[in-house]
Amino acid sequence: MSNHQSLNTKEHAELRIHTDHGVERGDAVMACLIVPHEFRQVQGDYPILFRRNDDGSGFNALAMLGFENGENLYLEGDKWDASYIPLSMSIKPFLVGRPREEGGEPQVHIDMDHPRVSTSGEGTRVFDEDGRPTPFLERISDQLGALHAWFQETPAFFQALERYDLLEPFSLDVPLSNGTRQSLVGYHIINEDKFFALDVTALDELRQTGMLTPIFMALASLSQLSGLISRKDRKENLG
Amino acid sequence: MPGTFDKVAIVGGGTAGWLTAGLLAARRPDLAITLIEAPDIATIGVGEGTWPTMRETLRTLGIPETEFLRECDASFKQGSRFDGWVDGSERDSYLHPFTAPPASQTGQVLAAFRDGDETFAQAMSPQADVCARDLAPRQRAMPDYAGTLNYGYHLDAGKFAELLKRHATTRLGVTHISDRVDKVLGPQGSSIEGLLLAKTGRLEADFFIDCTGMAALLIGEHCGSGWVDRSDVSFNDRALAVQVPVEAGSPIASQTVGTAHEAGWLWDIALPTRRGIGCVYSSRFIDDQRAAELLDAYIAEHLPHADRSQLAPRKLAFPTGHREKFWVGNCLAIGMSAGFIEPLEASAIVMIELSCRMLAENFPERPETAALHAEKFNERFLYRWDRIVEFLKLHYVLSRRSEPYWLAQREAASIPPRLAAQLELWRDAPPSNWDFPQQDEIFSAASQQYVLYGMGFDLPASLARAPTAQGAVAMREKTRALLAALPSNRDYLDRMNNIAANPAAHGELAGS
Repeated sequence: MSNHQSLNTKEHAELRIHTDHGVERGDAVMACLIVPHEFRQVQGDYPILFRRNDDGSGFNALAMLGFENGENLYLEGDKWDASYIPLSMSIKPFLVGRPREEGGEPQVHIDMDHPRVSTSGEGTRVFDEDGRPTPFLERISDQLGALHAWFQETPAFFQALERYDLLEPFSLDVPLSNGTRQSLVGYHIINEDKFFALDVTALDELRQTGMLTPIFMALASLSQLSGLISRKDRKENLG
Repeated sequence: MPGTFDKVAIVGGGTAGWLTAGLLAARRPDLAITLIEAPDIATIGVGEGTWPTMRETLRTLGIPETEFLRECDASFKQGSRFDGWVDGSERDSYLHPFTAPPASQTGQVLAAFRDGDETFAQAMSPQADVCARDLAPRQRAMPDYAGTLNYGYHLDAGKFAELLKRHATTRLGVTHISDRVDKVLGPQGSSIEGLLLAKTGRLEADFFIDCTGMAALLIGEHCGSGWVDRSDVSFNDRALAVQVPVEAGSPIASQTVGTAHEAGWLWDIALPTRRGIGCVYSSRFIDDQRAAELLDAYIAEHLPHADRSQLAPRKLAFPTGHREKFWVGNCLAIGMSAGFIEPLEASAIVMIELSCRMLAENFPERPETAALHAEKFNERFLYRWDRIVEFLKLHYVLSRRSEPYWLAQREAASIPPRLAAQLELWRDAPPSNWDFPQQDEIFSAASQQYVLYGMGFDLPASLARAPTAQGAVAMREKTRALLAALPSNRDYLDRMNNIAANPAAHGELAGS
């Protein structure tokens, strides 16, 4: 389902990428991966939940966009109704590729089968007519670099949460106004009571390692759950 | 209610008649508007290029942009390019784009241009680079009539009049009478009492709008408003016009191209399906035969695939000038009945729009005030005609071409005194709003600068050194971003019309 290529001026000289939003642009997803560094921006629009990796080795942080597979309640036609779009979505169809040689710089890769790849002559160019990166690619490269670096720091965040036993399972079951029920199952959140019961040494360690801000932001983000529910409510009542 | 003044009769269809009917109906739903159109008169199609004002006009009419573009075989116009006007050499070309230079710090911007190596248009706006690559001024996802750059349209005038007619009669409540005017009723030289129509009989109205083109049936024949000839300044009086079909997928230019020749110039307007090409000339300097040769040579050079044996150019003769009064009593002339000048800066349609705006916002409430409104209207539009005549002349007086026609264009006797005075002042200071102080000034100081400095007029010596290159850097960054984000005109319009892309053209092969 994907066709990863290393981005280069030879093969991708004329390449254009659709930068607008919509179901047909691959934006219909119920959650997207985020990194603790962007929790501050994310919590302004989305609830942040945690989920155990498929192989059980650790946790991932997610911005929740909907309640079922393929449901992005922030999508309204070709608009994404939020002030911030998580990095892992805004960099698509690009991704960080393995360095060409051991210890080298990570490469910009692209999934040529992603629906953002344009074949219509519309969309934003990646390289200009002289083969230099366009401002769009410059921005994407910056974002990929940041995402790559910050993603390396994610395990440390969850190790700290586990070390202080701050994670608790979370399930949500809400009745909608049309009588149906909606649920989220199998997630984790931070246990606020346990967090505030930590002693000064523990809190100071979290402060020094930069974990306090993402913890507070993740806690604050839970107030966005009611916003997500009312988006769902609106959609069900309209549909 | 006694004395209501609300019945309007428009005589004549075409772009002028239907645009006036639609705009007046949209802006003044309190008026009862009837348009009388002779069934068998072919309209000339006053112009195929509009100004950016057309976007506001279409929005006011309530026509969605995509519908307009599709119905009128229209494309985007982002300005005019003038080739060969300075000396006729290979590299002689400049652009008058619709996007104005940065608003503030005129002196700094001009100094940055002087000290840099870009053309004037490039230094003032990203539009020059966008036009050079045949890119559209907007993306399809943008709201109607919004763009990242200022733009108007190129269109098929016949289809445009049809769209306006359908819209005005079905959506805006304009009454359409297909009939011939046999007689204008009322004493000659004063207000019109009514019209006698061949089939319909007598038609009365409070206010009459003359859109009968050069015939000027109402304003000229009945009201006796004289013709002010301006051919002493503007020499061109003939045109040969032709439409050349283009190949599928061929580039669509972003601007009207005006190419100077020995005794006039050629227009080249790109629509999705055809190019409109015309040779404008002065019959004092060359004959029709020579004009036909110039037209043929242009097509041979610029459209080598065209089958020239199939083309039958249409010959047009036109007077240059305008009425001494556009509004007399209860009659207003709009369109070619009001005046005509060569289409060098596409002033025909915008004058219709400006006339409609002034009328809609100043429609007489009672018969007694009509004369007072007329006085204001005539003053304003005489001013506008003077400015148009002068601005078009500016394109000729800055030339260094040496053919007899071009030498005659630069003879002092043919240059309006106000223009001569401006040119003297512009040696010391760039054109500014002090030179063009009116509301809705038809050609702004920015337009004057684009022509003046595009043609190589010396910048004022007093201009200081540019303090920083900051503005120029910001401009280049904006240009880079736009060049990456804007689709070509062809891709935009073909996708809009559901014509599939040629995959090879967009790197799909490279990706497979």
